[in-house]
Amino acid sequence: MRHAILGFLFLLLFVPAAISGQSSTASGVSNKMNPALSVNGLFLAKKSQDRHGVEYNSISLQEAEMHVSSVVDPFWKANVIFSVYPEDAGSAYGIGVEEASLESTSLPVGFNVTLGKFFVPFGKHSPLHTHHFPFVDAPVGVRTFLGEGLTDCGAMLTATLPLNWYSDAVVYCLDGSTETFDAGSTDVSFGGRITNFWDLSENATLELGGSALSGPASVDYFGWGGRVTVYGVDLTYKWICGTKSHGPALTVQGEFILPDLSGDYNQPSGWYALSQYRFHHNWWVGACHGMANANIKTGRDDQDLLSVKTRESKLNLTFAPSEFSALRAEIAYVDDQVEDIDDFSFRLQWNFTIGSHPAHRY
Amino acid sequence: MRNCLLLTAILLTFGLAGVCHAELKVVATLSDLGWIAKEVGGEHVEVSVLCLGYQDPHYLPAKPSLARKLRTADLLVYNGLELEIGWLPVLIEAGRNPRVKPGSRGELECALAVESVLDVPTGGVDRSRGDIHPLGNPHYLLDPRNGVAVGRLMAERMAELDPDNAGAYRQRAEDLAAYMESHMDGWKEMLGDLSANRAIVYHQHWEYLLEWVGLQEIGAIEHRPGISPSPRHVEEIINRGRSTSGAFVIAATWDNAKISEEAAERMGKPLVTLPGAVGGVDGVTGYPELFNFICKQLAEAAAASLKQ
Repeated sequence: MRHAILGFLFLLLFVPAAISGQSSTASGVSNKMNPALSVNGLFLAKKSQDRHGVEYNSISLQEAEMHVSSVVDPFWKANVIFSVYPEDAGSAYGIGVEEASLESTSLPVGFNVTLGKFFVPFGKHSPLHTHHFPFVDAPVGVRTFLGEGLTDCGAMLTATLPLNWYSDAVVYCLDGSTETFDAGSTDVSFGGRITNFWDLSENATLELGGSALSGPASVDYFGWGGRVTVYGVDLTYKWICGTKSHGPALTVQGEFILPDLSGDYNQPSGWYALSQYRFHHNWWVGACHGMANANIKTGRDDQDLLSVKTRESKLNLTFAPSEFSALRAEIAYVDDQVEDIDDFSFRLQWNFTIGSHPAHRY
Repeated sequence: MRNCLLLTAILLTFGLAGVCHAELKVVATLSDLGWIAKEVGGEHVEVSVLCLGYQDPHYLPAKPSLARKLRTADLLVYNGLELEIGWLPVLIEAGRNPRVKPGSRGELECALAVESVLDVPTGGVDRSRGDIHPLGNPHYLLDPRNGVAVGRLMAERMAELDPDNAGAYRQRAEDLAAYMESHMDGWKEMLGDLSANRAIVYHQHWEYLLEWVGLQEIGAIEHRPGISPSPRHVEEIINRGRSTSGAFVIAATWDNAKISEEAAERMGKPLVTLPGAVGGVDGVTGYPELFNFICKQLAEAAAASLKQ
């Protein structure tokens, strides 16, 4: 009993001291150390009619995204993005970790390492966050082979090349568990990208990129389960009026994607060309056309493949009263042989961003 | 012998190249800061500028070619007060140069030299007030006294990074201060007494300038920073301008000219379109020339507004 009382007194003496000690550590609880936090909400209303006259109407949350970023210590900074997305035709929602990565800040000039889960730098469109898409969804030539956005766990090394223009080379190794790859396979995926930028004038730039990504193919995406290497090339021209704030701006962009199935199959491919033009302070107009030639598996045998084409055309008008909100109206026509639909749709998309959201890359 | 000659040639080549190169490579975010850095650094620095004088520093496109300039920089001098928040962090990241990353001795926020920051928001700060600067109005370089203070601050940092030339940097900063101070009275004389005048600005870009020249502001066409003004607000401002004697409109070269011109015309008041920074218009090649130009234009507009 005496020992129990002594023990109790001992706890009374030391526990408060320990608690107060916790709150005054060097890395303690100052609000100044809080990470930058932002939330983006993206909503979509859609009215469409297929070739059989069947109508589909919906209003849904397309995606909500929470972005947390901060410097970790003198050597790293971290980015974490949680996304909430509809599942089961919008009757339920899933939560996923879109990105959770460490990025080096202290390597020698020109080098950078990223570790964790990150957007795979393949092509120009695939690394974009959904709320940064120039159209409501990704071009068919991209989403057919890379999904709506390719993220995976792995390691990535970026190096700036010592050339007379801006040139970046990236090599990476991935777990290979994204929807594009066969998650059941133990093979890793790896790839690389080289990006070159030239200033054509003070206001105009040209970007030329080349990408390659190799991994165990997902049957759903490629109709074939062997190893696949996907090649891509992209070209982007941008012009922004330099003398006026929110003046006219033009983007013309194209991308070609070529999966190499290293077998005697119909050669799949995808491409798109898009253009966006800011014609007034807050107003943008855009047009996109693209196509995907893909294989779908029709039987048990690997040879039972059917080559199908999907074509799409989109036109949109975007009103962005500030950098933090936008309203977009879009008409899209999709001729999809895979789903056997000939779909004409009207979409209305709106999005907002609150909090401290990092600036997007050029 | 042949090898010795070759080695000597290589050493001479690189040695001469070294002699030709400046000791410090400085990148300035704004053209005003670039001009001040050149004046303070002299032949010991090589300066490049990210945002040219005719470009709106709030919305600079973060082109990779600008990141390339940062890659080799020894010193990054930036305005601060979050003026460059939309593009500088992206460029620093793409530049991948640890010498100028935030917190290093190679980055210098020039706002540290400013004694009194204007328009620091009180109460809650949120975006219902537009693209408000939570740390206060960042356009302090439009008061020449702040440019002088920035020059001295730059000199100290250059001296720290390049101690061999510390004396030269400090001396040049003092020379710049003396030159600017000797011209300030002349610029104010050029302006005369502005107490009977009132300014309507397009964007709240000119607060430091107005305070320095003693000109009172009575409104902004852009009701909330960064947001297009509503027709109702423009109408209110036009009515205010019409009923105020000695009023005139001030806009920057990159502002929406159509709205400013229409508002000034309907008010029946003069419109003066000013460069926001060095290089903003032809002939404004330096910081003193910027104030020469601005003061001349303001004086003309002020006189014209009193005749109407």
